Amino acid sequence: MTSTAAPATAAKAVARHPRRRVDRHAVGAFILLTAPTVIGLGLFKYVAIGWSLLLSLNDARGTLELGSWAGLDNYAFLLSDDGFRSSLGTVVAFTAFIVPVTFVASLALAVLVNRVRRGRAFFRTAFLIPAAVSYVAASLVWKMSLFNGLPSGIANTLGDLFGMSPVPWIGTEQPPLYWIVLVTLRLWLQVGLYMILFLAGLQAIPQELYEAAAIDGAGAWQTFRRITLPQLRNTSVAVMLLMLIAAFQAFDEFYNIFSSGLGGSSTAPVQPPLVYLYGIAIKDQNYGLASAGAFLLTVVIVLVTLLQGRLVGFGRKD
Amino acid sequence: MKDGLTRRGFLGASLLFAGGSLVACNAGDPTGKATANGAKITLNQYYHAYGEKGVQQAVQRYAAEYTKANPDVAVNITWVGGEYETRLNAALLTPQAPDIFEIGDFRYQMIKNGQLAPLDDIINPAEYVKANVDNVTADGKVYGVKMMDDIMMLYYRKSVLEAAGVTPPTTFDELAAAAKKLTTDKMKGLFVGNDGVGDAGYLLLWSGGSDVIKDGKATFQEGAEAISGLRRLHQDGSLLLGFPTDWYDPGAIVQNAVAMQWCGLWAMPDIQKALGDDFGVIPWPAFTSGGTSVGRLGGWYELVNAKSQHVDEAKKYVQWLWAKQDELQQDFCLNYGFHVPARTPVAEKALQGGKLASGPAKEAVAISQQSGRSFPALWNTAMGTAFGQAVAGVAKGEGDAAGLLGDAAAKVQAELDKQLA
Amino acid sequence: MTATSARAGGARGVAGTIATYLVLGVASVLFLLPFYIMLRNSMMTQMEVSSPDWQWLPAIFSLDNYLELFSDPSVPMASALGNSLLIAVVTAPVSTIFASMAGYALARLPVPGRGAVLTYVVVTMMIPGSVTFVPTFVVVGAMGGVNTTWGIIAPGLFNAFAVLLFRNFYLRFPAEIEEAGRIDGLGYLGVYLRIALPNSVSMLASLGALSFIDAWNAFLWPLVIGQDPASWTAQIALSTLLTAQSVNLPGLFAGAVVTVVPLAVMFLVAQRYIVQGLTTSGLKG
Repeated sequence: MTSTAAPATAAKAVARHPRRRVDRHAVGAFILLTAPTVIGLGLFKYVAIGWSLLLSLNDARGTLELGSWAGLDNYAFLLSDDGFRSSLGTVVAFTAFIVPVTFVASLALAVLVNRVRRGRAFFRTAFLIPAAVSYVAASLVWKMSLFNGLPSGIANTLGDLFGMSPVPWIGTEQPPLYWIVLVTLRLWLQVGLYMILFLAGLQAIPQELYEAAAIDGAGAWQTFRRITLPQLRNTSVAVMLLMLIAAFQAFDEFYNIFSSGLGGSSTAPVQPPLVYLYGIAIKDQNYGLASAGAFLLTVVIVLVTLLQGRLVGFGRKD
Repeated sequence: MKDGLTRRGFLGASLLFAGGSLVACNAGDPTGKATANGAKITLNQYYHAYGEKGVQQAVQRYAAEYTKANPDVAVNITWVGGEYETRLNAALLTPQAPDIFEIGDFRYQMIKNGQLAPLDDIINPAEYVKANVDNVTADGKVYGVKMMDDIMMLYYRKSVLEAAGVTPPTTFDELAAAAKKLTTDKMKGLFVGNDGVGDAGYLLLWSGGSDVIKDGKATFQEGAEAISGLRRLHQDGSLLLGFPTDWYDPGAIVQNAVAMQWCGLWAMPDIQKALGDDFGVIPWPAFTSGGTSVGRLGGWYELVNAKSQHVDEAKKYVQWLWAKQDELQQDFCLNYGFHVPARTPVAEKALQGGKLASGPAKEAVAISQQSGRSFPALWNTAMGTAFGQAVAGVAKGEGDAAGLLGDAAAKVQAELDKQLA
Repeated sequence: MTATSARAGGARGVAGTIATYLVLGVASVLFLLPFYIMLRNSMMTQMEVSSPDWQWLPAIFSLDNYLELFSDPSVPMASALGNSLLIAVVTAPVSTIFASMAGYALARLPVPGRGAVLTYVVVTMMIPGSVTFVPTFVVVGAMGGVNTTWGIIAPGLFNAFAVLLFRNFYLRFPAEIEEAGRIDGLGYLGVYLRIALPNSVSMLASLGALSFIDAWNAFLWPLVIGQDPASWTAQIALSTLLTAQSVNLPGLFAGAVVTVVPLAVMFLVAQRYIVQGLTTSGLKG
């Protein structure tokens, strides 16, 4: 920060004939300004990924150093492993469910909030404030109060009003009631964030379009379908992508809702890939296998992202 | 004007930045492993978080006593809640690894990874039950000191069973029938764990006469029929699921949420306090009449990190605490939760005239002597996960038991072969 | 839309407005319910929390559960909150300023090879952050960062996405202002520090606020890297309380409250920046 008094004359010289030769001062400043990012990403992304690519080809147990060469054994093991495959199945099912639900809910709330004049700030805050809550704290409230298996759980108390007997929400697999717990939790945490994005999108729609539609005598639903939805296309694509990536990285709520202290979460009814990898890496200390899993998962995510981009035409807008 | 405003904003941002760095510097030693006053060496010791009140203070007291007798050595206790083994394993990879740590189910894998220092010269094997030494012996060297034996068995509410006209079960059929009969609106029949699995897979397997591993081969697929019993308990709806505390905590049975609970001897003082003598203990019943009933025999071993910089000092401390201090071992095993002292001279005192000499505690000890079963040292977390998932699959009826367990057995076999290679 | 629907016709418009408020009212009650439950339970007794009979408020308002929470020797909540604060206070400004520096250089400095550096940064965005926790653990572990505060903080300081947002921002930054600075005799760094940075305060605040929230609420990485209780963050301490199967239910909710309240307050105070940050980062994605 002391170099601000740097060569004034040089800067003037540059200003006079810019972009001719390589400007050494610009290069110096460029290096200084980008160094933290370049080094940081280099270390925590490039070196990390390179090193663990090597590890994934080794049998590295209880050590972060290269153990013994194992070739593609780790990959072969994972591809034939039911646990890993079903974790991918789990995350796909979770995504297929949570993305449309969150999408519709946040769009609906955005449209409604955008429609009211009084109390708009209140509603916006009420829907957004859960975004300040961590998944851990939310899991705690969901597991220990809203959906606990005792008659005193909120869901069971409500059910009691309708004559239902108490249900262990998290422990019931047939039907898989734990999905209700997982989906409502994520919905609560995330809807506000996406609602904000849709609100920004809605406010950017030119008012004249609606006026023209009103003159044509279009109904509310028609207006929504013909004007609002198409105008929100870019927002929708961005929101969808964000949701997709977030869902694929699900870990916190699955870990906290199903884990039970000393035992960990190995008998959880569903494990998304990150929970599965956490178990292999940190619990079983098999870093070779876990690295291989991280790569396979990365490939899946990149493919899904590209596919989604292809489907909805993402990337065309820039 | 705009300039002034943004300048102020920038100033704020820089202050925040500077403040952040300042806090970062002042935080100092973030691991909090500062050496105690005057001691030349600080040993780091990990314990899992024992649930009973007073244990944490007790082990800190033992450490302080040791420092009093050996002013050069301070012992820093780390009390690790949550997933103990996971957290321990990650810490063992680091320079801040504990010098001394305990482990519940001993893992041969740790010897193979070169993580353990041999402890032959600090214990007298004659003072232990043979199995407790054999379990931690490899290539003629002993790698762990058993601190205590833990017995796990089935607790039941006498009054509740009587009221329902149920006698303590002696076969699995009776257990399942009793659990079903004892299930009402307010109370479930049986609690094996919040996941509906807990140790039940192992218990059923053992009670059917099979074992997880025999002679270096995974053999649990032979117990498919017995393990299928868990499916029946689930279908009957007689298992307690989703309680705030898990099976190793007495919460469920003392809060009247369940009539029978699989739990450990450690919880007995709390259960006695809450229920008086309105409870009894039995082993997990035999799968068929004439079969074997099962109590689980666990407990904790004290181990020394081979990569510690103070292996000798750590060994001396372990010897002092777990091989010599009879009084402290008594205190640890009997004054908080109940454990059976691992050293037979100390255990005998407790069993003859001590707190374990009468009532249900005595019955528990008898259960462990007659039908106690333990995990083989070759069993590791990856095998436990594979087995646990297969059992969970059986419980949910996701497929036929033989197939699910067979797949898991193949995985376990691969792990075994790697360890034995 | 408001205007049109109001004009569209009296009775139907009024009914629509009432329905809208009704839906929003019910939804906001549902969204605020968990906060109420958290606060209520944290002040109740164990008996009240597990009683099947509904109770709007605890019989006696008591902060005992909070006192007990902070005196529990097995879960160091006070030091965990301190760790979280330290981590968030360092991460938010440092990561934002790093991103702004790189973003500015990539947008404005006439240097050959700039495109290559940009690609180098963008490529890392292909791989979502938490998927690489294993590789990152491998590197940070090898550097001795397990159980350390820097180990928790360091990987979070470099955010390729934020670099791109800042680059976009500086690309649209009027060149004349910079030129003026040059004429005043500022070098490249001077122009960045004296002109570009002060003019991006609202951008810094928006992204900084988001980064603060992320750092405070982060779970997977601190869980992986901070195994020792002394390095636990508030989220890890809370998760340990939750998964350690504590029978002390009100204490658990008190734990949730102390980890949520600081952030919720910040959220309300800085809402303008947060909304702005969300829209910028969400829609430029």
